[in-house]
Amino acid sequence: MANKTETILRTENLRKYFPVRKGLNPLSRREQRFVKAVDGVSIAVQKGKTAAIVGESGCGKTTLARTIALMTRATGGKLFFEEKEIVEGKIDRSEIYRNMQMVYQDPESSLDPRMKVAKSIGEPLHGLMKWEKQVVNEAVERSLQLVGLSADFADRLPRQLSGGQKQRVAIARAIAIQPSLVILDEPTSALDASVQAQILKLLLKLQNEFKLTYLLITHNIAVAKYMADFVAVMYAGNVVEYGPTRTVISKPRHPYTIALISSAPIPDPNTRNLLQTEIKGEVPSAIDPPSGCKFNPRCPFAEGICTSAVPQLEEISPGHFVACHFVSKTA
Amino acid sequence: MGSLLTIQDLSVAYEARSGPITAVNHVDLELHQDEFLAVVGESGCGKSTLGLSIIGLLPKPPARIVEGSIRYKDTDLVRLNGNKIREYRGTEIAMIFQEPLTSLSPVYRIGDQIAEAILVRESRKSGKSTVDSEFMQRTYKRTANKLKQTARMRHRLSSDLQEEVIRYLKLVRIADPDQVLDRYPFELSGGMTQRVMIAMALSQEPALLLADEPTTALDVTTQAQVLKLMKELIRKVRTSILLVTHDLAVASQVADRVVVMYAGEIVEDARVLDLFSNPMHPYTSGLLSCIPSGYKDDSELTPILGSLPDLRSPSIGCRFAPRCPHAMGVCSKQSPQLLQRGMNHEVSCHLYGQQN
Repeated sequence: MANKTETILRTENLRKYFPVRKGLNPLSRREQRFVKAVDGVSIAVQKGKTAAIVGESGCGKTTLARTIALMTRATGGKLFFEEKEIVEGKIDRSEIYRNMQMVYQDPESSLDPRMKVAKSIGEPLHGLMKWEKQVVNEAVERSLQLVGLSADFADRLPRQLSGGQKQRVAIARAIAIQPSLVILDEPTSALDASVQAQILKLLLKLQNEFKLTYLLITHNIAVAKYMADFVAVMYAGNVVEYGPTRTVISKPRHPYTIALISSAPIPDPNTRNLLQTEIKGEVPSAIDPPSGCKFNPRCPFAEGICTSAVPQLEEISPGHFVACHFVSKTA
Repeated sequence: MGSLLTIQDLSVAYEARSGPITAVNHVDLELHQDEFLAVVGESGCGKSTLGLSIIGLLPKPPARIVEGSIRYKDTDLVRLNGNKIREYRGTEIAMIFQEPLTSLSPVYRIGDQIAEAILVRESRKSGKSTVDSEFMQRTYKRTANKLKQTARMRHRLSSDLQEEVIRYLKLVRIADPDQVLDRYPFELSGGMTQRVMIAMALSQEPALLLADEPTTALDVTTQAQVLKLMKELIRKVRTSILLVTHDLAVASQVADRVVVMYAGEIVEDARVLDLFSNPMHPYTSGLLSCIPSGYKDDSELTPILGSLPDLRSPSIGCRFAPRCPHAMGVCSKQSPQLLQRGMNHEVSCHLYGQQN
């Protein structure tokens, strides 16, 4: 999709299936079923850019992030990070993590409640990077400063911090080792609007300063629009639309993307888009998804072919990919 | 439009070991008949406490209504004792919460829970004012002798009751209501359980519906469906809605009037079009510029600096002053009052002149 030389992360048909527990009867002949959380995702993230994965709960965006971050083992497909294929069992995780870090949604649970801020930030510098104590201390101090916290925060415990401050500490910890890729899993969803704005601004500043690459997982279209250069829209385990943010947000072509964008409330009482949206139904079961295009039961354009054939991502304009049989109808 | 609910000078405090925390501080608010009012604010601003105090669900202790009155029609809800307020709670005034799954009982079927609500309404209408706690059990016992020992111990509601339940489920646009009836809450999706909650609340034919972050736990497409539904129902069943939300965008989409709260106080109160086209309080305009709306390279967010004040130590002057870009000398000396500064537009800020 993107120019290979500047691609930092690439997935090819990445899949993650979770087995569904069978009933209690050991003689049950029911076949093993799977939740297909990520069902063949191919994305590429360019160096120094932000790629956003947008979708509703259960669409597999967090599972995709966790699979990329090697926190769960992929069921199939390939994963390339910095030009190297990552093969389970043949890689040294700590090698990967020196260049790939993650910031989680809930700052509360991503910090050890008994560790002072300085220890939280410094731990990966000791353990992962094997830096000298003196270097670590300097790095902790510098990264605190970078995220806009004064030096006296170093001695505080997480419970003495507000939600926004905790998220700043989590960001400081992620960037302290100077990774090339930071995976941001809903970094501002647990925060208030005014704090969210502070954190988003901070993330953009850090990206400019250190040429960081972000993989941003979010359900919030406005956040994706503000943060990302590229957007991939996921639905029920598949990417249904992918392209430059401007194109996807202003001219969405997949019926689901159109519905998703028009369902996101705009803070303007003069354009009451919310009351005009016509999306029916809900996200399908991931165990028994509809056949063909998974969006077909909710799609206003669905016809016979949609229930029989799975649409593939096709390039409709340079860099803009859509997986829909009737993409011509949404032009 | 007549006034349905009038809150006057309401202060609510939570007793903590370190002293009382004033969550709602001298709030005056009026809600009119057939109005869709949104109370907007960030976490800790007292918006939920305000909602809970209207319906008498404040956890007392630690919560305590320090002063003020909540006048609903002609009754002061603050002065009512525990049993009396039950005539209003869930009946005249209904409430839906953020987490629909925790507000439904996990052990009863959807149909039975709505049926109970309908039976409560019937017994209330026929003059039995109080409803005892074993009501649900009696609902079951009454049908138990007709019970057939089928696989799922399926019992049946009387057919007219069932019809009414189905009518409410249809009202909130639940597909296949006759099947949903027999399901348990965990078998439904988040959007559906929230719609069931709305159906239950509406079955009481309440004059006022309090909705505390009803769509915060839902996905955007589901949120759009639920909000659209609420907006339609207000016309159909003539209910006033007080929507508590942290999301200005949601408020702008559905509300007629918006009240902005900060640190337990109302800072601005205006019709929705006025508030968004002409936000007068610096906090309101700050909140609006915090919402990301543009693309990465052509827009700039201007966050509100600083953080919420500590509500334990009552500050002198305007509570927003330490974070306010327009703060003047007077702001830290004198509290501003909520005053009329335009057509139906009230602001509590010294920028618009001294009070006289």
